[in-house]
Amino acid sequence: MKRRALLLTALISTLFVTGASAQTEPVKVGVVTPLSGVYAGIGQQVRWGLELATREINAAGGINGRRVELIFEDEEANPAVATQKAEKLFQVNRVDFLTGTVSSGSTLAVGQVAERNNRLMATTVSFADSITGDRCSPNVFRVNARAGMQSAALAAWMVKERPNADVFFLGPDYEMGRSTVAAFKAAATARGAKAVGEVFAPLDNKDYSPYFGQIRAAKPSVIYTSVAGNDTVRFFNQMAEYGVNKNVVLVGASGTVTSQNLAAIGKAAEGFVTGAGYSPKLDNPQNRKFVADFQAAYKTLPDLYGADSYGLMYFLKTAAEKAKSVETDKLRVAMRDHEWMTPQGTKRMRAGDHQAMQEMYAVRIEKGDFNIIGRVTPADAIGPDACTRF
Amino acid sequence: MIETLQFVYAPQIINGLSIGVAVILMALGLTIIFGLLDVINMSHGEFYAAGAFLGLTLIAIGIPFWVCIVLVPAVLFPLGVITEKFLIQKVFNSKDRHILTLLLTFGIAIVLEDLFKIIWGANPSKLDSPIQGAVDLLGVMFPKYRLFLMIFGAVIIFGVWLLIYKTPVGAIIRASAHDRNMAASLGIPVTWVHALTFGFGVSLAGLAGILLAPIYSVFPTMGKDFILMAFSVVIVGGLGSIKGAVVAGLLLTQLQSISSLFISPVWSDPLVFGVMIIVLMFKPSGLYGGLKNG
Repeated sequence: MKRRALLLTALISTLFVTGASAQTEPVKVGVVTPLSGVYAGIGQQVRWGLELATREINAAGGINGRRVELIFEDEEANPAVATQKAEKLFQVNRVDFLTGTVSSGSTLAVGQVAERNNRLMATTVSFADSITGDRCSPNVFRVNARAGMQSAALAAWMVKERPNADVFFLGPDYEMGRSTVAAFKAAATARGAKAVGEVFAPLDNKDYSPYFGQIRAAKPSVIYTSVAGNDTVRFFNQMAEYGVNKNVVLVGASGTVTSQNLAAIGKAAEGFVTGAGYSPKLDNPQNRKFVADFQAAYKTLPDLYGADSYGLMYFLKTAAEKAKSVETDKLRVAMRDHEWMTPQGTKRMRAGDHQAMQEMYAVRIEKGDFNIIGRVTPADAIGPDACTRF
Repeated sequence: MIETLQFVYAPQIINGLSIGVAVILMALGLTIIFGLLDVINMSHGEFYAAGAFLGLTLIAIGIPFWVCIVLVPAVLFPLGVITEKFLIQKVFNSKDRHILTLLLTFGIAIVLEDLFKIIWGANPSKLDSPIQGAVDLLGVMFPKYRLFLMIFGAVIIFGVWLLIYKTPVGAIIRASAHDRNMAASLGIPVTWVHALTFGFGVSLAGLAGILLAPIYSVFPTMGKDFILMAFSVVIVGGLGSIKGAVVAGLLLTQLQSISSLFISPVWSDPLVFGVMIIVLMFKPSGLYGGLKNG
């Protein structure tokens, strides 16, 4: 009698346990991304990329036979809001994985929330080197290219095109401007270029002509800039006005010229070169299919954020299938040194710092198109592993 | 030595001059409205933006830039008159006039900025410069359009000064500013003088908007660009003084321009406000007297 009761309890508990982790329960992915505010345009691309991939994955049978469900929360591009929303997704929605953060501040803050909740997260957008460098976390992965990789790609192209270039640097005077200039200066001088001067203009600067005397006096053959948004519109047009950009190669950060401000910059953007981890012009079967599907679904071209967010879902899918689980420790082991297919071709997740390795591109603006004019191998672009925490 | 003067200081001074003219154009309308109505127009920057957006649209439908320079202020003039007549006049005679008009014009600014966003979108646009190319000025390459702007701006500033100080219309405006009740009892329709002068100030802002659009691009928050600088100029020059606006405008922009050679550009705003504080400490009414002081 007693034995039979024991057997029954065992049977019931087995039933219960398998019932709880039943194959019908979806894999929940929390998405904390700016759906309003200054970065809403980026958040939109993130959302589209994730949703497109999720539809494809679900149509093909899901992850380990489980359907994938995305749960969105608006972080308003504010790290404080992002941590609250992330906490809510982990605690209330019990998500298995988190992604979507755009600003580097949000990614770093949400990374700590993920650590506390013993879950994994990945960013598909944030550039700051520190995320997979000195502030790396065993729970945070990055599938997109970081600032240093973009600089490396641009610098490699530049020294080939203009050996012994004299470079002048102009950046907006805040964290992003100073760190991008420092990163490119390091990458360029290490490859034999010479820094001939630098100036940091206030964010939202009206008139750049007061700096043109300085730029002329320095006689640069290359001008590097990391201004963005409307600052680029003014800087480029005023340079054209004064003829400062004559016989000078203009290069800059990947956010300097985008589809949002390209029309307003007009002719002055022609010939601008930047280092980037993606271009819709990439010619490979994965990207051709991705761009066609994306355009069919959303009537617009994907940008790097859409492409990397799309790629992330396949990173999660293939790693979870390798681990046969989405349980944190098993998934982390599977994700390390994992190789998977993306619109940029094969990417490999470096185990030492959780930074994805990928081919990088020098992209030039020609008649309003972002054309790829140079490539740098993943090994040359990625730089040393600066993560010491794991 | 001569070379430094020519290649380092001269371009800096000339560039500063072209920015100075832009700032004075903004400050001019502001100071006239303040001098006469005793109203601090917080929406002045948005009327400047309205001028730029209107110009952008008119040029897009094929109207030449030079016609727009006349058309834009002409369209903004009635807009300013209506704003004064139906909004500002409603609170003008209240005890809390200063607070109420400040809040009212600030509210107009917010509404206008959002309207620009709804109608023209948040992305920046560019007006092509109507005069391309550059000239050699004392050995310095200087864009022709900026040269035109400096000369044209100077003409406008001089014209406004003539209008206010040398014509019967100007005498009426100054009389209304000096003593509203006395002017009214002499048969001057003071409320109309207020409305028309406000309209004039607004059309000056609109003119500045279209003139500066080819240099500074057009976007919904552009109204905030020059307004802080323009306010500083008006305060340093003396509220309501045209001469003060010109002198302070040139002084402050030259200060910014030359100082950017020696210190980080980020310090140029603190420098301007520092000068403003010093002027206010020793001469609280600004460098020159108001409109009524002739």
